[in-house]
Amino acid sequence: MKTISIHTNHFVLHPSGGVYWKEKQTWLLADIHLGKVAHFRKNGIAVPREAEGSFYQKMEELLPLFPVKRILFLGDLFHSFQNNEWYLFEAWVKQQSFKMVLITGNHDVIPKWKITGLGLEVVPQLEEASFLFHHFPDQDTQAFVFCGHVHPGVRLQGVGRQQIKLPCFYHSPSQLILAAFGAFTGLHILKPKLEDHIYVTTGKEVVEITEKLS
Amino acid sequence: MKGVENWFKSQNWKAQSFQKQCWKAYAEGESGMLHAPTGSGKTYALWGGVVEEISRSKKNPIGLNALWITPLRALGVEIQKSTQKMLSDFYPEFQVGLRTADTPQSQRTKMLKSPPFGLVSTPESVHVLLAQKDHQRYFSQLKVVVVDEWHELLGSKRGVQVELALAYLRSLVPNLKVWGISATLGNKELAREILLGPTANFAVIEAKIQKKIRVHSLLPKTMERFPWRGHLGTHLLPQVLKIVQKNKSTLIFTNTRAQCEIWFHRMLEAAPELAGSIAMHHGSIDKKIRLWVEESLSKEELKVVVCTSSLDLGVDFSPVENCIQIGSPKGVGRFIQRAGRSGHRPQAGSSIYFLPTHAMELIESVALQNGIKKQQIEDRIPYLNCYDVLIQFLMTLAVGSGFNPVKIYPVITSSFCYQTLDKERWHWILNFLIRGSQSLQHYDEYKKLIQSEDGLLKVANKGIALRHRLSMGTIVSGNDLKIRYQKGGYLGSIEEWFIAKLKPGDTFAFSGRNLELVRIQKMEVIVKRSKVKQAKIPAWMGGRMSFSAHLSDLLKNALFEQQSESTPEFESLIPVFNQQKRESIIPKPNELLIERFETKEGFHTVFYPFEGYAIHEAMASLMAYRISLISPISFSMSFNDYGFELLSDQAFSQEAFLDNDLFTPEHLFEDIANSINVSEMARRRFRDIAVISGLVFQGYPNKPIKSKHLQSGSQLFFEVFKDYEPDNLLYQQAVEETFDHGMERGRMQLVFEQLEHKTVVWKNCSQPTPFSFPLITDRIRSKLSSETVEDRIKKMYLQLEKVAK
Repeated sequence: MKTISIHTNHFVLHPSGGVYWKEKQTWLLADIHLGKVAHFRKNGIAVPREAEGSFYQKMEELLPLFPVKRILFLGDLFHSFQNNEWYLFEAWVKQQSFKMVLITGNHDVIPKWKITGLGLEVVPQLEEASFLFHHFPDQDTQAFVFCGHVHPGVRLQGVGRQQIKLPCFYHSPSQLILAAFGAFTGLHILKPKLEDHIYVTTGKEVVEITEKLS
Repeated sequence: MKGVENWFKSQNWKAQSFQKQCWKAYAEGESGMLHAPTGSGKTYALWGGVVEEISRSKKNPIGLNALWITPLRALGVEIQKSTQKMLSDFYPEFQVGLRTADTPQSQRTKMLKSPPFGLVSTPESVHVLLAQKDHQRYFSQLKVVVVDEWHELLGSKRGVQVELALAYLRSLVPNLKVWGISATLGNKELAREILLGPTANFAVIEAKIQKKIRVHSLLPKTMERFPWRGHLGTHLLPQVLKIVQKNKSTLIFTNTRAQCEIWFHRMLEAAPELAGSIAMHHGSIDKKIRLWVEESLSKEELKVVVCTSSLDLGVDFSPVENCIQIGSPKGVGRFIQRAGRSGHRPQAGSSIYFLPTHAMELIESVALQNGIKKQQIEDRIPYLNCYDVLIQFLMTLAVGSGFNPVKIYPVITSSFCYQTLDKERWHWILNFLIRGSQSLQHYDEYKKLIQSEDGLLKVANKGIALRHRLSMGTIVSGNDLKIRYQKGGYLGSIEEWFIAKLKPGDTFAFSGRNLELVRIQKMEVIVKRSKVKQAKIPAWMGGRMSFSAHLSDLLKNALFEQQSESTPEFESLIPVFNQQKRESIIPKPNELLIERFETKEGFHTVFYPFEGYAIHEAMASLMAYRISLISPISFSMSFNDYGFELLSDQAFSQEAFLDNDLFTPEHLFEDIANSINVSEMARRRFRDIAVISGLVFQGYPNKPIKSKHLQSGSQLFFEVFKDYEPDNLLYQQAVEETFDHGMERGRMQLVFEQLEHKTVVWKNCSQPTPFSFPLITDRIRSKLSSETVEDRIKKMYLQLEKVAK
């Protein structure tokens, strides 16, 4: 884990892709794509069902780490239309005592009233402190933006023509793009600029890459 | 046989003996295999028999009688014309139809309603016909299937498609005759057995047409300037232009599409007067443009065409007088085939120039000439247990009339590819299609095939059927995007990863033009013409070919034994050899040379077994794996036909390497399998498998279909199978293909047994040697590591985006 500070607030970057906001005791999670595996299977594409299960396991690991008042889902909570995965999520939500907010993403096509029916708040975006929470990056705003959507990753290079692609938290001067939290979601490789901070996650560790070559 | 012979006379032709043999064997009801080169009259050798059969039959033929399968659509047009011509002269009322992916929908429907007497088609289109609901009736009158250019299909997954189609058609029509036409190849018997199946009633006929092939090496004027590396060979451009100017028309064969584009540009730059009489031909160029090139070539309107293997086969180009091969053709068979594209008139000899792009390839030229002299043509290795093609085929039957799993099983196992498919794996495949390879569980909504009351397996819904119909037959995969002018007009297709590197406004060269990227829209790349002179040349990932076993033997022979001979080739290599000897040695037959040197990239360890690309690929990964077991280390590997390189940021010691007996043939395949898993060599294989088996659905340009939320890359599938379902047969297939097809198991064993008797010569060099140069500069690499990701990334850095000027 790695703690960074933005506008005097403290954020913990967790290897799972989640970000914990200390001052507000809030987890930020982006791009979970629940039900993606089920959606593929329903359409005759045999993705192993085990690939779906990781959300609940990951949450079991995350929740005991810090006191939790709230979870902000930064969009693409569900991958597609409603399928059986919904009932698993419903059961999980019922067991939790904290507040949950969904900021809608482009994949969130399940009607709002169904989500609010589970007890979640659904908003297009959220402004709090000097921050804006949104699904999409590059918002036209003075606030610092937390977002998802991209599934960011970077390519690292080393001596001996070594290279490796890893998911990352992409921290530029005005926004932080979260790594995708869901499994079976893929990576979009970005080329950083000099002023950007890149924190890659190996699934076990979060490491800031300081050495850069242009 | 009188009818057909008389017809030959009326055309002022003389029937050749292999043609008469074919007619006779056909009349006797035999199946068979004809070995004959392109342009020898092979079409009539078989069609004559088919036409004769009509006259012998008492009833007038109804329905589809003859099916002709050809690998190339362009060839289909030609064959349809010749067969129709002969048929019309005998029976004007009968038709030969053409059904390929280019055939308009209206004609397809017409041919379905009233089937023609004969049908010329491709393997993919035959499968499309099998997806029709009443295909049993459509094929019920079928007498014969002719498979043309079988040597091209054999050893590819399209060949497996043919095997499946034949096995299935035989089950519908028990007395079906099957004929194959093939160029000569190494493993003729196997080729025949695979195609004709278990019949004992067959004939093998050879057309004894030996063409004289003259090979000339193009050598640079000044010997010192022979480049050590490079794959372009443009330093010999002046000599190529001279040859082009001397001849009526010339074909220039290149090995990659990028090389093809570059040569085209350089030739035009150097000789602007060629504009209008020079053209380019490769697989990514739009088919209309390709057809135009082919036509102009046979009408003698073009002086030179720069092409890739796309012109290896195809229509007769009689005016072509000369061929030039740029870089290694990788096999004697292919070289003969290409040389054969010139001098098509009977009795005329063929002439081909070989242009080596670097010093090592010059040795190959010598090897090839020996191979041609000895007629050492290589084997084509057939695929075994292609689960992906089988799954696609079963889906094809399921979208049509459905299939009965119990009845179809013996049909599948009667084909060569699936002869060892046992019940256990068969049930896995059925379970994959019915339950998505799970046991019955709550919550699972998997849908693909369902069993109807009559025991037939059919598709579960229209959406699944539609997606299969759109993607079936895709054996050649890849994320290709179509290139289109802003104002309309297609230019061809290009791989997505190349375009992804460009921004709107960037220019790139394609099909001989410089184009500016306007935007990417759906599956199309919109471009306009650019006036910029310098443009990026796209690269295509496409097939890298490996040396055949024969060629690597010939090569060793040339290097080891003829080195002292004073051929022009070896004379021009003297400066290169001298430089090699200054730093290292030229290995003798009983030696295995290993070179070690350091550059700013790290420590290079280069091995020279001279066994061909495929063997080296596996050997590199095996060596890297065995070394990585001694202590944690990361390797980047490159390989070519001469040897392979292991590059690392830390040097493993010579002693550790030699003392640990790393060349032992013990646990060979176990270690290779482990190295494949660690290095993820199978990842590349999996890309095709994912597309063919229908895991990856890409949607199609011009065919908007709701596939939203179903897009996913094959890489992602590879990862989930690896993590969650490693016993998935499709995942296994990727590993097995790396084994059996990529590297020829038997040969691997042999190579390691021989290695044990060789003396290892380890040379520490102060700088890269000429032999090592093509290897260390190669950019296409595999990786293998025994370090943890955490340790690796601590030594790494980020490449930043280049700031725009």
